Amino acid sequence: MPRQRPTARLPSEAPSETSSSTSPERAADDDTDFFMAQANDSQSSIGVANFRDLRVQNSQSVPVSPIGRLPPEILIAIFSKLVSPVDMLNCMLVSRNWAANSVGILWHRPSCGNWDNLKSVASSVGNPESLFTYADLIKRLNLSALARDVSDGTVVPFTQCKRVERLTLTNCSELSDKGVSDLVEGNRHLQALDVSDLRHLTDHTLYTVARNCPRLQGLNITGCNRVTDDSLLVVSQSCRHIKRLKLNGVTLVTDRSILSFAENCPAILEIDLHDCKLVTSPSVTALITTLRHLRELRLAHCIDIDDSAFLNLPEGRTFDSLRILDLTACEEVKDDAVERIVNAAPRLRNLVLAKCRFITDRSVQAICKLGKNLHYVHLGHCSNITDIAVMQLIRACNRIRYIDLACCNRLTDASIQQLASLPKLRRIGLVKCINITDLSIKAFARRRSNPSVSSLERVHLSYCTGLSMNSIRPLINECPRLTHLSLTGVPEFLSPALTKFCREAPPEFTQQQRDVFCVFSGDGVSQLRDFLNRDETEATMYDDDDELDEDAGQMTGLMDATGINDEDYIDVETLP
Amino acid sequence: MATISLMSSDDALVTVERAVAERSILIKNMLEDLGDSGEAIPIPNVNETVLKKVIEWCDHHKNDPPTAGDDDDNRRKTTDIDEWDQKFMQVDQEMLFEVILAANYLDIKALLDVGCKTVANMIKGKSPEEIRKTFNIQNDFTPEEEDQIRRENEWAEDR
Repeated sequence: MPRQRPTARLPSEAPSETSSSTSPERAADDDTDFFMAQANDSQSSIGVANFRDLRVQNSQSVPVSPIGRLPPEILIAIFSKLVSPVDMLNCMLVSRNWAANSVGILWHRPSCGNWDNLKSVASSVGNPESLFTYADLIKRLNLSALARDVSDGTVVPFTQCKRVERLTLTNCSELSDKGVSDLVEGNRHLQALDVSDLRHLTDHTLYTVARNCPRLQGLNITGCNRVTDDSLLVVSQSCRHIKRLKLNGVTLVTDRSILSFAENCPAILEIDLHDCKLVTSPSVTALITTLRHLRELRLAHCIDIDDSAFLNLPEGRTFDSLRILDLTACEEVKDDAVERIVNAAPRLRNLVLAKCRFITDRSVQAICKLGKNLHYVHLGHCSNITDIAVMQLIRACNRIRYIDLACCNRLTDASIQQLASLPKLRRIGLVKCINITDLSIKAFARRRSNPSVSSLERVHLSYCTGLSMNSIRPLINECPRLTHLSLTGVPEFLSPALTKFCREAPPEFTQQQRDVFCVFSGDGVSQLRDFLNRDETEATMYDDDDELDEDAGQMTGLMDATGINDEDYIDVETLP
Repeated sequence: MATISLMSSDDALVTVERAVAERSILIKNMLEDLGDSGEAIPIPNVNETVLKKVIEWCDHHKNDPPTAGDDDDNRRKTTDIDEWDQKFMQVDQEMLFEVILAANYLDIKALLDVGCKTVANMIKGKSPEEIRKTFNIQNDFTPEEEDQIRRENEWAEDR
């Protein structure tokens, strides 16, 4: 068919095999997976695509409309602003020129959210007569929505895609080494691979990754518990640009591969070894010491780790990149280690010491040194800690947004009501803090000056059996941002009149657990608020005592505001 | 307040505050490389009308924080445009695309971005035929090709 040649004015409009302009990335990463949730590692480029058979030459209508003057890279930038695939498809259907410039954006990340879509995508990819070579346009492939329905057979058409940068197969648990290896084979540009919970995978897949993916930056093999050190060792030597590594539950991992990652992959920013129980202290020392950029280190349930992991850090050096450290259930980590951690990583923002059950007030006092840097602290089940240390913590670290003190059963209202003075506090966990009373909760409900509106969003008060409506009602009235309130096992809230606003108990709960389940979330909180306020008009008739209590609460609120909050004052207030 | 002169493609001299002109990375780099000789900087790809329009935008945005990291954030809310910019972009297509081309040439990312968003908003929700009409584009597909595109991209119609 005769086509007009592009006019001389518009040389750039002719799509050519080599033209591939850097262009804004396609918008709307709605399928946020592990890697995409992070800062963007890859700048994948979208170029002008070619019609498969070269019989198609670009044609330009005469006279040139104003939009016809835009070069391909600008057209691509415009199409990149579109979010809906339907809009992109409509652009493809406008003209040959538009098709060539929009098809790469549409196919950058084809939507495989349901089975019909997947079939349609796969059939176009696999069709040798297709208008475009779609296989080459796919940069991100995410099959996680189809989970168990994806088999090795399903992915066969996609083995032709050799320019994939992000491959997300989370939960596609029926996939075997064969399917995943065939997908990975030949993909030299792969930057992120997420195969979490593909429990059939073995070292075979990781050897394929090591052989093919020198640019790999993110690897998530959570739950692939058949993978061993043997392949991870090779990965650590071949994929030396790795930044994010998640090995949660890869239980066969030992120091051998972790030490090799520490030695060979200096770009690592985040490493998660949750439940890698064979990993011991020398790995931790090496990771912190050699990885200059290490930002996030998660070691939950690595039960072999002890104080030496941190006491052996080189003297006098600080590790300023480290922001997040999770030592959940590392029981052998004690006060000496915590003191050393705070000195070595003074810019820690998140510190999780839940279930480090031997730590004492000494640890908490050390944590105080993190000052304004500390945003998130979890001390659940650290039952040795006392009011005195928690009060110091609240004073020293007033930017805390998240604090969990679950099962710290020595704590009383004396420290807990001080939490209300944290201006940025968004979430508190006080599950099973059995000594606290309405006094603590009323502190959160006081009207305040700075900020004028409470920032509290999530409050966990289950099994705080001493709580009553007298504090919960003001709490939900004064905290407009509250979206989660748990009161499981708090007797006063177990009446059907209230639990009807509760969330459904999780399916795995026993009847006994269901009987005490009481969690309000989202709309449930608003409904509870409305209900209690409706109720209040009647209630005021007879609960004079409560009113008095509330006055007392407001009184102490005023005193707080004027700065009378030293320890003497607190002691006085907690007298019975 | 230092000013510099720009020479448009149609040989008009346009005087502009230096800080305003430096919203253009092209001009900023030229001034850094060559120093301010006092001579007019030639802008051979942009005529006077368009240049003045672009300067109007730069002047309004001269106090915006630097655009570093800008693109990443903008990608989230793809087609939100602030009110002033929306009004600014209410021009005929001829001017709209000239401004976009000038922003591209002068390397003014934020303006290019606003321009692209404006065009994207003109595309959104329209059928291929409506898009062609809007921008005066001729359909050069055969009916068979159109069918084939629809068939091969069926998945895109899902949502």
